[in-house]
Amino acid sequence: MTVFSKILVANRGEIAIRIFRTLRELGIGTVAVYSEADRGSLHAAAADEAYLIGPGPPPESYLSQERVLETAARAGAEAVHPGYGFLAENAAFARACEAAGFVWIGPPPEAIDVMGSKTAARKAMTVAGVPIVPGTTAPVESADDVRRLGGELGWPIAIKASAGGGGKGLKVVSEPDEADRAYESARREGEAYFSDSAVYVERYLEDPRHVEVQILADSHGNLLHLGERDCTIQRRHQKLVEETPSPAVGGELRERIGRLGIDAARAVGYRSVGTIEGLLDRDGNYFFLEMNTRIQVEHTVTEVVTGLDLVREQVLIAGGEPLSLRQDDVRLTGHAIECRINAEDPSNGFLPSPGRITSYREPAGPGVRVDSGVAAGSEVVGLYDPLIAKLIVHGVDRDHARRRMLRALDEYEIGGIATLLGFHRALLEHPCFAAGETCHGVVESKELAEQADRLSHQTTNLAESPDGRLRERVARVELDGRLYEVKALVPEPPFAELARRRRERSGPGAHHGAARDAVVTPMQGTVLAVEVAEGDEVRAGQVICIVEAMKMENEITAHRDGVVTELSVEPGQAVTTGQIVCVVSQDET
Amino acid sequence: MATEADSTGTKLRQLAELREQARHAGSERAVARQREQGKLLARERVEKLLDPGSFFELDRYVRHRESSFGMLERRPYGDAVVTGYGTIFGRKVFVFSQDFTVFGGSLSEVFAEKICKVMDLAAKFGCPLIGINDSGGARIQEGVVSLAGYAEIFWRNVQCSGVIPQISLIMGPCAGGAVYSPAMTDFVLMVEGSSYMFITGPDVVKTVTGEEVTFEELGGAATHAAKSGVAHFISPGEEACLEDARYLFSFLPQNNVDPPPYAEPADPKGREDAELDSVIPDDPAKPYDIKSVISRVVDDGDFLEVHERWAENIVCVFARLNGYPVGVVGNQPRALAGVLDIDSATKAARFVRTCDAFNIPLVTFVDVPGFLPGTAQEWGGIIRHGAKLLYAYCEATVPKLAVITRKAYGGAYDVMSSKHIRADFNFAWPTAEVAVMGPEGAVNIVFRKQLEEAQDPEMRRAELIEEYRSQFANPYTAAERGYVDDVIEPRRTRPVLIDALETALTKRERRPPRKHGNIPL
Repeated sequence: MTVFSKILVANRGEIAIRIFRTLRELGIGTVAVYSEADRGSLHAAAADEAYLIGPGPPPESYLSQERVLETAARAGAEAVHPGYGFLAENAAFARACEAAGFVWIGPPPEAIDVMGSKTAARKAMTVAGVPIVPGTTAPVESADDVRRLGGELGWPIAIKASAGGGGKGLKVVSEPDEADRAYESARREGEAYFSDSAVYVERYLEDPRHVEVQILADSHGNLLHLGERDCTIQRRHQKLVEETPSPAVGGELRERIGRLGIDAARAVGYRSVGTIEGLLDRDGNYFFLEMNTRIQVEHTVTEVVTGLDLVREQVLIAGGEPLSLRQDDVRLTGHAIECRINAEDPSNGFLPSPGRITSYREPAGPGVRVDSGVAAGSEVVGLYDPLIAKLIVHGVDRDHARRRMLRALDEYEIGGIATLLGFHRALLEHPCFAAGETCHGVVESKELAEQADRLSHQTTNLAESPDGRLRERVARVELDGRLYEVKALVPEPPFAELARRRRERSGPGAHHGAARDAVVTPMQGTVLAVEVAEGDEVRAGQVICIVEAMKMENEITAHRDGVVTELSVEPGQAVTTGQIVCVVSQDET
Repeated sequence: MATEADSTGTKLRQLAELREQARHAGSERAVARQREQGKLLARERVEKLLDPGSFFELDRYVRHRESSFGMLERRPYGDAVVTGYGTIFGRKVFVFSQDFTVFGGSLSEVFAEKICKVMDLAAKFGCPLIGINDSGGARIQEGVVSLAGYAEIFWRNVQCSGVIPQISLIMGPCAGGAVYSPAMTDFVLMVEGSSYMFITGPDVVKTVTGEEVTFEELGGAATHAAKSGVAHFISPGEEACLEDARYLFSFLPQNNVDPPPYAEPADPKGREDAELDSVIPDDPAKPYDIKSVISRVVDDGDFLEVHERWAENIVCVFARLNGYPVGVVGNQPRALAGVLDIDSATKAARFVRTCDAFNIPLVTFVDVPGFLPGTAQEWGGIIRHGAKLLYAYCEATVPKLAVITRKAYGGAYDVMSSKHIRADFNFAWPTAEVAVMGPEGAVNIVFRKQLEEAQDPEMRRAELIEEYRSQFANPYTAAERGYVDDVIEPRRTRPVLIDALETALTKRERRPPRKHGNIPL
């Protein structure tokens, strides 16, 4: 079943690690890329190979198509997985990948093109008979147009940037007087964020649910859906909590929107995993919003209830395999919830809170999954998305899953930075969430922020000692005449963190200074064995040859990663101190 | 009538103003240049080295008195060095930090006086001294007065030696005579890429010997860490260097009378490690990593290695056993088969004496095939240098424990903390071979005649080697005589060492009165 031997993941953080896991299971070699700001990051360490692709700012590293492709060639990767964000929905990059001879693990570039433009997508959906929110499919040209359309569609209406997403470039207009300002503002944001000032208008649905359908499509014309995800809990149009099934979707409705999803995907010749995002109004009307042509952050909840590995499906589809199951085989079991653990401070307007994670402990136990990109000691860099981990739970029903999530959130410990842990606890305890309501107005309320702040402090109290961690110490205690063995949690001595950091610094790959090319024998002796051949790739510490001296075998090891050249010893040969064994070259060819 | 100028408010304002001036003695340009080089300012370094908010500055209003060369036009408060005291992990420590942004950190009379003051205070109160070096050298304008200043510091370095721990951080240039102050302290830490030490710089080297060499090659951190052994620790950056200094500090006592700092352990004292039972390869010629043995024995597997890249055939680390700091010395079979040579003997001798001076018990892991043969060694004075290690072990009065893991051959056996030079507890693993030499060599000498006469000398040799091995290549001959106190399962090494250490902690040993011993330097 091995379709590829090596895949480069052009991403970072939790999603890179998530993808590596699947690739490992498939027996596929993993290649990570990292920026200068990510040298110490977990994802770079989690892959078989990791390559530096440039300075910290994304345009010079993770968004640099050239660098990514150069690296893929250098690493000998056969395919590129973009993860989400960065280059994931960049049709030009998809084409560049294929032009450079790499398999693009994603949809056809044409599908990305169509779905990437809101207006083109709306047009295509109209043709395919997929309902869209009433509005224009063509860009609107003036504030007057906006007022006219408001009259036709009914107030309030939404003005959206054609190339927009994530709430950027979106303006709600509740009456004609606001049209001018909103129109200009949406155009400005479109221009600023997406270099495209085109905007369109649609009816603004009040208190809708954000419901999306997961689609799988192979290159043999097979399509199926894996049910819906409810992503109604958002803050400034950023998803925070996702769940499946949706509290508002039953069997019949699921069947209907699933079919709509399949129709929508088929209309653009879709292949790979993808998501049809839509709005569900109170009367059960479903409107197409947009299609996400990539693996999504919240794909995990679908995995949990279907038992499938979506990244695995995605890789196999890219390898030309047909889908291994049919629509009838899809079984949805129980209820899953995901909470996004962002490094953001709810008590400070959800501002990102970069910094060093001083203590870290993940929850575990029945029905708990953590997809994380950090560990204790990780530096959360302000340059990137604040999402550091995702906590996913599976329960028999919604309330079971909710309680399980609260329990897991209680167990989760992240010290040193502010996170959304407390916010999620406050939200999931809130009656509106427990009742499965949309929680509009609650998520962003001051009341919830205050509660979140209070609960946040509860979680981080343990980690307040200056250098971080607690450790267990077993003590015998006599209580009421009975002897107990108790584990006391005592703060570790202040130098323990320094010891850890020093160990990290002097770990493999930490050798710095003027590295010379040649490997030399440290002593006089006889070569017993040569373990490498000319042209072999070696890693630092790998044995080059064994020299016997003073009746002892001495392993002569590579002092750095590179390629063996000028190998000049053979078994049985006598060598003198300082004799050159070989050269480990690092030529960038 | 009190005037405005007399009011307390005015005086307080004046104080605040002076303090502000002292804090910004360096010109904006000099500060910018320091930052461009990725270097911290003198006070920032001190603040990062010490516990937050603990630094108390002394002598911030001291100014130079030099009048030649128009020096009176610029008399910045504090001159070119920041001095004072603070705490690390709550323990008091005196510090000085040379300020390259003022007169290039050059040493003046008052600069030296400020340093001498904190050295005297540190010695008087029995507190460690940490010096941060970043200086262009002597202040030429002050001439011989500057040289006198250096010498005053040198003299105090020696008076303090073995009395209080002295640690030197090199965070910029340190050249010429200035190197001798750090050289006489207990530990030198250097920052890669931004620090260098040498007696004469690349220009002079080129003039005199014709050699072309860069600053970095001649006296950079990597050079002193791997080639010269001048630097005990090197760090990739200033922050890491300051962290390493704190970590090192966690093992050292306040002075030669106080015990080194105990820290409540979490690692159980009775912890056995089954992996140790399979560490020694069945083939006696195969190497293994002694550091992995050390990390399996000490608390939490943590240790701080001294001279990590120099003389790698011997390993010297600070670690803890059940919370008590210990100095661990181990022959490293992975490098040069763990032989003793000039560099390794010098390195370990220095480490043993440092531990002994500061009441840090010694734990020695022995796997030594002998001394390194060859003209380079003999002509280089392996006799003198090897003697240093022997001398240091003989002289040390701290608790001395030893574990023979494999080879303990010949004179090197005697040197490595043997019972005969007054180690307190000696243990051996069943894989130990305590003998005059390896079986092959011994058979060739002892049975020379027999081998000459044998019909099949090779077969006979093999037989005799096997015989010798079973008879002598084990720990029991030594154990019969009490040279090792017990033969233990490797897995029990930690509990056995902890028990022995806690027994020996109350050791008191007096050496005969004398001016000082005469270690073969």
